[in-house]
Amino acid sequence: MSSLKELQDLIHEKYGIEPSKLDPHASMRETGGLDSLALAEFLFAIEDHFGITMPDEDANIDTLAELALLVDKVRAAKPA
Amino acid sequence: MNHEVAITGLGVVAPHGDEPGALFQALLQSRSAIQPVFADLPKPAAAATVAFDETRWFTKLQLAGVDRVSQLAVAAADLAMRDAGLTASDADPERVGVFSGCGMGGAAALEAAYRGNGRVSPLTIPAFMPNAPAAHVAMRQGVQGPVLTYSVACASSSAAIAEAAKAVQRGEVDVAIAGGSEALIVPGVVVAWQAMQTLASFQPGEAAGAVRPFATDRSGFVLGEGAAFLILESAERARARGARSYATLAGWGLSSDATHLTKPDAPGQARALRAALRQAGLQPRDVGYCNAHGTATRIGDVVERNALAEVWGDDLDSLRVSSTKALHGHMLGAAGAIEALVTVLALHHRQLPPSANCREIDPDCRLNLVTQDDTAVPSLEAAVSNSFAFGGTNSVLLFRRA
Repeated sequence: MSSLKELQDLIHEKYGIEPSKLDPHASMRETGGLDSLALAEFLFAIEDHFGITMPDEDANIDTLAELALLVDKVRAAKPA
Repeated sequence: MNHEVAITGLGVVAPHGDEPGALFQALLQSRSAIQPVFADLPKPAAAATVAFDETRWFTKLQLAGVDRVSQLAVAAADLAMRDAGLTASDADPERVGVFSGCGMGGAAALEAAYRGNGRVSPLTIPAFMPNAPAAHVAMRQGVQGPVLTYSVACASSSAAIAEAAKAVQRGEVDVAIAGGSEALIVPGVVVAWQAMQTLASFQPGEAAGAVRPFATDRSGFVLGEGAAFLILESAERARARGARSYATLAGWGLSSDATHLTKPDAPGQARALRAALRQAGLQPRDVGYCNAHGTATRIGDVVERNALAEVWGDDLDSLRVSSTKALHGHMLGAAGAIEALVTVLALHHRQLPPSANCREIDPDCRLNLVTQDDTAVPSLEAAVSNSFAFGGTNSVLLFRRA
């Protein structure tokens, strides 16, 4: 289960960034134009979307692929 | 040396739209932008709201953490810069300033935080902070000089314009983007204002005419939202670049009542009016129009009339007066700016917006009110805009024909 597709859809819906315009392995800050404030808001939206709580210590994630891995991990650990 | 301060650009995002000329025409025709809002509140509420398309100014990504109050400010300031024919590269960024008024800050962000059932956006604080509008204007326009916010309730943006004028007059900045924004038409704020007992009461279907400044049957104001900015630069600079000058900001007066937190005070208001006249080197009879604070409260309108009577004396009848709040509502932190803009346009066109909804003038408010059929003033040379705040701060701006 990878959350990447859903994250791409979410980032498109929320910020109008097409999946093809943001390489999952590129920096969301530098390539995607998401500054620290937008990223904080995006993490909040991810929590709402998946019904999860993101751990604070991983806030320095830089790429969508890294973010998808973390979301996968949190979702997998979530009690059913 | 002291520079003469020219108004070279006007930008507005108001309940009557985002074109200054159309706004002025609507006011000349006494078209009210006030409508009922929030039908589910216990007490009927009305407001003048802005039909705003934020996608004209922001991408979805740029909107992250940007409250409506800042969105309106960015749009109005950008329109003002365009109207002045200025782009960021036309001035040394360190010699451009933003002087912005805001009474409350991002009300929608706070309301959403409260109503989120514990889910609070991490950007609530940067969205809410009252200096966010000025900061967003600065980022959009690349302004690196003084970027300041004035929060003086209903006098916020009038005081901001006065402070901007000082900076231009003293040569501290070459260009000042001066005005203000307010956007607090959310249920939590509207019920708070209702509790303050200063809002107009109205019958169903009669919200548009609810605000009746200086009339016997007045009962208070209606909240409005919006933003307005003026571009101020020295008259020499404006001439040198061939810019159109709408008017000169010739005087400003700031005073404090120092008597009561919310009750207005005629002597305090008169001090601000006299200070503006003194600075402009004008006598009361030289000023042909006053865009009144005119909130249509029982006490406020009488006190303002008394302040004008005290300063104008035997010349009071030569002063034409109107309060345009009857039509665009009370925009609080943006009120001084939109009313300054209207005053500048009145001077520029030598035409006065009528004092709407006054069928019978209160004898205690006896003033020469502008009427619908008598708006042309071919000899108009100077005009004042009054802004009197909760907290007792009074701000008067005096404009002359350019």
